[in-house]
Amino acid sequence: MSSTSSALAAPKSGRLRKKILPYLLSLPALLVCIGILIPFFTAVYYSMMRFRLNLPYLKGFIWFDNYINFLSDPAFWNTVQISLLYAFLTVGLELLLGLGIAVLLQQPSKFNNIVSVLLLLPLMTAPALASLMWKLMTNPNFGILSYLVSLLGFSDFKWASDPSTALLTVVLVDIWVYTPFIMILLLAGLRSLPKQPFEAAALDGVPQSFIFFRITLPMLMPYLLTATLFRLLESIQQFDIIYSMTQGGPGDQLMVFQVQAYLEFFQYTNVGRSTALLMVLWAITFALSNVFIKQWLRLRERTHGNG
Amino acid sequence: MATLQLDRVTKKFKKDVVLDEVSFEAEAGETLVIFGPSGSGKTVLLRVIAGVYEPEEGKVVLQGHDMTDVAAEHRDVGMAFQNFALFPHFSARENIASPLTALRKSDSEIEQQVKSIAKLLKIEHVLGHLPRALSNGQKQRTALARALVAAPKTVLLDDPLRNVDAKLRFEMRLELPRLLRRFGSTVLYVTQDYREAMALADRIAVLVGGKIAQFDAPESIYLRPSSIEVAKLFGEPAINIFRGQVNEQANRVLVNQNQLILPKGFQNKAGKTCDIGIRPESIKLFREKRVGTTSYEVITITPLNERSVVLLRSQEGLELLATYPAEEQTTRIGDAFWGMVVPEDLMLFETETGQRCLPEQN
Amino acid sequence: MNQLSTSQRVFRGVLLGLVILFFMFPIFWIFLMSFQTNEQILRIPPSIFFEPTLINYQALITGRLETQAGNLDIAFMENLWNSVFLSSSAVLLSLVLGVPAAYAFARYRFRLGEDIAFTILSFRFAPPLLVLLPLTLYFEDIGLSNTYTGLIWVYQLISLPLILWIVRGYFEDISPDIESAYRLAGHSWLQTFLKISIPLARPGIAAAGLLSFIFAWNNFVFALVLASADKQPVTVGALAFVTASGIQYGQIAAGIVLSVTPTLLLALYAQRYLVEGLSLGAVKG
Repeated sequence: MSSTSSALAAPKSGRLRKKILPYLLSLPALLVCIGILIPFFTAVYYSMMRFRLNLPYLKGFIWFDNYINFLSDPAFWNTVQISLLYAFLTVGLELLLGLGIAVLLQQPSKFNNIVSVLLLLPLMTAPALASLMWKLMTNPNFGILSYLVSLLGFSDFKWASDPSTALLTVVLVDIWVYTPFIMILLLAGLRSLPKQPFEAAALDGVPQSFIFFRITLPMLMPYLLTATLFRLLESIQQFDIIYSMTQGGPGDQLMVFQVQAYLEFFQYTNVGRSTALLMVLWAITFALSNVFIKQWLRLRERTHGNG
Repeated sequence: MATLQLDRVTKKFKKDVVLDEVSFEAEAGETLVIFGPSGSGKTVLLRVIAGVYEPEEGKVVLQGHDMTDVAAEHRDVGMAFQNFALFPHFSARENIASPLTALRKSDSEIEQQVKSIAKLLKIEHVLGHLPRALSNGQKQRTALARALVAAPKTVLLDDPLRNVDAKLRFEMRLELPRLLRRFGSTVLYVTQDYREAMALADRIAVLVGGKIAQFDAPESIYLRPSSIEVAKLFGEPAINIFRGQVNEQANRVLVNQNQLILPKGFQNKAGKTCDIGIRPESIKLFREKRVGTTSYEVITITPLNERSVVLLRSQEGLELLATYPAEEQTTRIGDAFWGMVVPEDLMLFETETGQRCLPEQN
Repeated sequence: MNQLSTSQRVFRGVLLGLVILFFMFPIFWIFLMSFQTNEQILRIPPSIFFEPTLINYQALITGRLETQAGNLDIAFMENLWNSVFLSSSAVLLSLVLGVPAAYAFARYRFRLGEDIAFTILSFRFAPPLLVLLPLTLYFEDIGLSNTYTGLIWVYQLISLPLILWIVRGYFEDISPDIESAYRLAGHSWLQTFLKISIPLARPGIAAAGLLSFIFAWNNFVFALVLASADKQPVTVGALAFVTASGIQYGQIAAGIVLSVTPTLLLALYAQRYLVEGLSLGAVKG
């Protein structure tokens, strides 16, 4: 190896190149995303406009009127209420169920591992298609579930088409799809817990319930929090399941934020109102995601070290 | 001509100054050991030379070319990492061959060179294995082979014996000098084991707190450390350090009411306070009283191969570590020894800076 | 937990049985339905014993559905192809864009770096319609409405954050010394990236790719808003399918089975990495 020639041929600008390299590597990804960021800012602008696609001549900047109108709009408050109810109901139930299943599957045996893999399947089913599956099962003519509840005496149980049971039905589908998400995160958490505290407690003859509430749950807290926040973020924005199942109906029973905004845009062509509604949702998710990301980073650091 | 020159190299991480104006030169074919306690910046120094880290200030000159801004792959430097840093998805053969493939050598040439160095390092039989199938010793030899195979002008070895067991370390300590000489490269060898440093080095650079505390031949550093810091780092058991008062005649020094004889040449220290360093082996011990000895009581005994380390206390309460040959008569705690410090071996240090005071030449 | 009493054991068994029943039954039942004729489906009481038929699949694959109202052409296979094409193109593009960026974020501490990484992450949590609705108006102006290009671009919202953050974790787990060693052996940055960094992060890249494929495939709202019939993937196509008048129920079931099978198989194949992927790299399974 001739060091002299290689040294002379070597580029002397190594320092500069090293400085630009990270930007060069991340720039393409960034550019693609900027293209998507522009509509976001347009949305902010639209949300402050009177803007109906069918009445273009009315278009005009009206500052915060769309937002102010929300205050006295019962449809808006219905949306807020139903979205929050949906989010807390689904996440709450999924948390309980997911924790229960994770505890059932905690011991890593072959059978438990197979079950935990099988439970991934609902989660990997497209939510829109999952809704169709449940729609087929709750069909009043031939649905297996309709048949089963009729055996229990509910002969005319209408599931998603009845205002009194529509929420229950979509929540059920949501639970079917997303409980495995919480389960799988908590299971990973449970299995990563150190063994010593449990062995010590077992040796001391501490009752199982005490171990669970005083040792397991506190140690599982980071996982519980991450899973909960993650799900809350998604659940408050739920669109696929509700839209495929009922399109927000019956009536305005299931008019959650995104469904309402979608219909507002495409059915009533009211761009201003639709984007304003989404901005409200964005404010909620932004606040939530800030809390979430902090929690998530802490957990991530534990997994990857202080990379 | 110096093949490697560092000129006031300064490296910072955020606000921490890890290397502070480090300068030295190494001659062609020389093995230069960089020795220092952990955290003194040894590894960082190697990485700056290798081009893994960029210094904030100063120059790295290799074979007379300023390499400070040259990328690592163009520096003609081979390096063995402390954690081996083998490529986990390459076999030992491919690991060793990697510097040769970069040179676009022919397959047969590569094969022949890999074989010959593997033979030298006694790892021919594991060339087909992936790193995870190698023992620590084999990993370490593979890493060495990879660093040396292309016979780079500069070889950097980052504490290569740190992660191998004691027996292997002993073998390698004997084997390495021969091996390194064979390649004729300039070797920079990092270690925090002073014995390893003394065994391998032509010269030692003692790095303390990011600064070169002393740069000299091994025996010079041992016999004439430049400061308390360096004196403490070399030697096992560690050097005894006392605060002492030099008398007006400058022929005695008073340490804790014990009079020790001061070598000649410290007239300028008359009546001043100094730190006194006495290496344990500079204390001659006798079972019976002799002229010029002081009596000591044995406080603790630690057998160490052919010599034992004893902690002694004089009647005046001076405690010091000394060694004496293991003999038939067993020594017990509470036994009495008569001891005498060899005056020529006594070292004086400035109390404020820790620098060694040199005797005046007559 | 080593000494469970018999009653506890039975109790756990029953609970697990119920769990498996609840989560597996819908898939099982729809699968059965897809092999039944309308008459078999409408039978009361329903039964799991029947003579299986392939007519539903035949009809879907040929694209000719016989209904009481006459023959109906349904482009289900086209939807299936759209799903395959859109998802794989989106993932490929995300890999090309995301893997180098993930490396940059993992290895270099540079100004703006974390900001960019978190901005991309935040896409994962923003309401998709907020971007999609204005985009419909934009896409018309720049000629991207109802094009594969436009859809693949927007699909980056799903696949890019996923790939970026999972692969970043894998790059962070590679010792920088290994890369330095390769550079010192005389190889350029690019050679090191291709020969060392990428192969060592391959499990992560594969997992992230598979997962984002699944999520892209399962996506509904993007194509619902941006694509018309000829560009729609199965998720949107199947919904139109249901509302088309006079369709046979077995055919819907068969359509669902065909639509979910690819993702379910991929999920089973990649299950080892799902935990990490679902938590965007925060939890290892």
